[in-house]
Amino acid sequence: MFLTRSEYDRGVNTFSPEGRLFQVEYAIEAIKLGSTAIGIRTPEGVVLAVEKRVQSPLLEASSIEKIMEIDGHLGCAMSGLTADARTMIDHARVTAQNHRFTFDEAIKVESATQAVCDLALRFGESVHDEEAMMSRPFGVALLIAGIDEIGPQLYHTDPSGTFTRYDAKAIGSGSEAAQSELQDKWHKQITLKEAQVLTLRVLKQVMEEKLDQHNVQLAQVTPTGFEILDETKLQEVIEAM
Amino acid sequence: MPDMNSLAHPQQHQFNPYTENGGTILAIAGEDFTVIAGDTRQSEGYSIQTRYAPKVFRLTDKAVLAVNGFAADGNMFVKKVRQRLEWYRHAHAKDMPLRAIARLIQTMLYARRFFPFYVYNILGGIEEDGSGAVYSFDPVGSYEREACRAAGAAQSLVQPFLDNQIYFKNQTPAQDTSHPVHLPLHSVLALVIDSFTGATERHIEVGDGLEMYVVLARGNPALQSLQDLPGAEEVTGTQAEERVFVIRRDLKKD
Amino acid sequence: MNSLAQRFSTTSPLAHFRKIQRLADEDEDVSDAAWGSQAGFGSLTKGVPTFTVPNLPDPTAFLRLHTDDHADPNCRIKIQHGTTTLAFRFQGGVIVAVDSRATAGSYVASGTVKKVIEINPYLLGTMAGGAADCQYWETYLGIHCRLHELRNRERISVSAASKYLSNLVYGYKGMGLSMGTMICGWDKTGPTIFYVDSDGTRLKGDLFSVGSGSTFAYGVLDQGYRWDLTDEEAQELGRRSIYAAGHRDAFSGNTCNLYHVKEDGWRFIGNFDISKMHYEGPGDVPGAPGGGYGYALRVEGKSSANPPVAEAAA
Repeated sequence: MFLTRSEYDRGVNTFSPEGRLFQVEYAIEAIKLGSTAIGIRTPEGVVLAVEKRVQSPLLEASSIEKIMEIDGHLGCAMSGLTADARTMIDHARVTAQNHRFTFDEAIKVESATQAVCDLALRFGESVHDEEAMMSRPFGVALLIAGIDEIGPQLYHTDPSGTFTRYDAKAIGSGSEAAQSELQDKWHKQITLKEAQVLTLRVLKQVMEEKLDQHNVQLAQVTPTGFEILDETKLQEVIEAM
Repeated sequence: MPDMNSLAHPQQHQFNPYTENGGTILAIAGEDFTVIAGDTRQSEGYSIQTRYAPKVFRLTDKAVLAVNGFAADGNMFVKKVRQRLEWYRHAHAKDMPLRAIARLIQTMLYARRFFPFYVYNILGGIEEDGSGAVYSFDPVGSYEREACRAAGAAQSLVQPFLDNQIYFKNQTPAQDTSHPVHLPLHSVLALVIDSFTGATERHIEVGDGLEMYVVLARGNPALQSLQDLPGAEEVTGTQAEERVFVIRRDLKKD
Repeated sequence: MNSLAQRFSTTSPLAHFRKIQRLADEDEDVSDAAWGSQAGFGSLTKGVPTFTVPNLPDPTAFLRLHTDDHADPNCRIKIQHGTTTLAFRFQGGVIVAVDSRATAGSYVASGTVKKVIEINPYLLGTMAGGAADCQYWETYLGIHCRLHELRNRERISVSAASKYLSNLVYGYKGMGLSMGTMICGWDKTGPTIFYVDSDGTRLKGDLFSVGSGSTFAYGVLDQGYRWDLTDEEAQELGRRSIYAAGHRDAFSGNTCNLYHVKEDGWRFIGNFDISKMHYEGPGDVPGAPGGGYGYALRVEGKSSANPPVAEAAA
């Protein structure tokens, strides 16, 4: 098994005889090393939460940025090689702004997600005899949260360029335990407040460190727009746990 | 052996890809409907090329585009707009809203800033909030939402009439009354017909036929009367809630 | 011969055109825009918009021939022109006032043009010259200001925004763009105005007026301008200056749109009919002295054109 693999696990352009792209599969594995990120959709909006691994007491926790704004109505949480996510999020931002420029309207959540996945799929591709713009698949998964005319939505994207819609989704190292917990607790009528508390509760269960306002980040997308909760608001949610 | 001298004469060539094909278009927005109309004569200079060349096109069930100026550019432009609408439908799984079409038209016109489409566009239809709307464009894409607009050969004849009848310009309301903010559909249709019969009388490039597209917002009470109107043909594309009708009338052919 | 040399030169402005054109050709018709999520994202998906240019030795002359109504009043494509716009800085922020007339040749194409472009809640741009040029590029500027905000977690400064616009249009210098604009806003440095035009000029200043009616507006503005104007006085000065231009410049008129930029962003003050201001004044608004701006009222019964009743009877 290992031998067959090694012949086909180098190039991103070669399928193995069993029909697998190993580099893509390895990239998906890379996400399982990342910190846990959770997204929950509610009828009022979408909640995103991430754990920040503060590896050293000298590390400035506020400089770890794992939830980012794509546009006023779109936010994104990441897990895996977060440096790769910058490229993807910048692409999403440019796409969202271009959409506003060309159509004078906010881009749909699914369209923005689709745009990110189109980029994710361009590994190993070279156009017009140019140097390939990417040498490997992205090693990051995203939770894209947003609101459009369809309502609040949560999408999950992975390095293969696949995207799926979820009511609640966990990614990263603690995802398996977190996902089954979410499956138990999520219900259709969950409120935004309940979802905020639930994300932190689930995170608490899978985190190694003790959860406090410095090692988690909470954000939400509601009809008023994307917002990263500041420390005081975060503190309130932690107290409500 | 050709005469070298004659060949040496300076020769000047001018690239002139444009011509003017006459005709007039206009659009009027009501509270919950929009009427977009155009005559069907196409001429070049003093000769009439055809008596039926449509200048008004249904784009979606809530958007109708009227195009005036150089017919070849106009037809190509409508084709390209329709192509972009189709792409949008596939990419975003919905029909493009009216204000999005307006902005798209601006970017498409401006992409030809250095080789303009010689076209004056008027876009009419129903906004997402159900109100009637008219957008007018210059050839390189500056645009504005208005309540009514005329363009083309008889623009300067028709627009002052509309200013007076739609915007009540230079009219003082009688004591203790005020001008209506929106006119009902039957008054608007009457104004459109009067505009075109008037323009046909006084402008040589206007005449032959009149096509009036009516876009009704969902649940518009005027639907029944329009369905009963002789000569009104429904051209709604899908089972959308907005309804599109076209009413054809003859204009003088001399 | 000259044109032939130019055709194959790589440094002339023409070469620049051809470069753009090649880019445009590649993108035309069968592009990425047809597929996937890029479908319908316009000519902008790759960052810089691309333009179609006619395949001619001198495309600029072609454009001038067909669109420049100063060179030839009978040209076919009439691009909307003519304007009065003004903006000034004072202790209470920035006042932006414009007229609303668009002319194509001598025809009043519209009397309801929005010549103040709301780039974002903190930035305004004014419109003089080609209506489409201003509308398009200032909207384009708007999305880049937003991207700056997202990438840097901080609002763009008025200086940076105006420089972005200036560099953008300078890239098309000599190709026939026409725009004279004031980028107005409030940033960390306080109220700021930059004048930017399609020649590449970019000036920081306290007070500008742009357009065919600017001379008339400057007359009123310079006379009444002080740094310590109150908000009401400043708004009245902006309104009064646009009225003067609308009154004396045939290419300006219809109505005046007035904006006030303060620390928390811009605010639309109102739309004022210029004829109405002449006869009745702007109505019951702060700063208005009451009564019309026209001098007919002030000279009634006193001038030769409007003689005293007794004299007229004699």
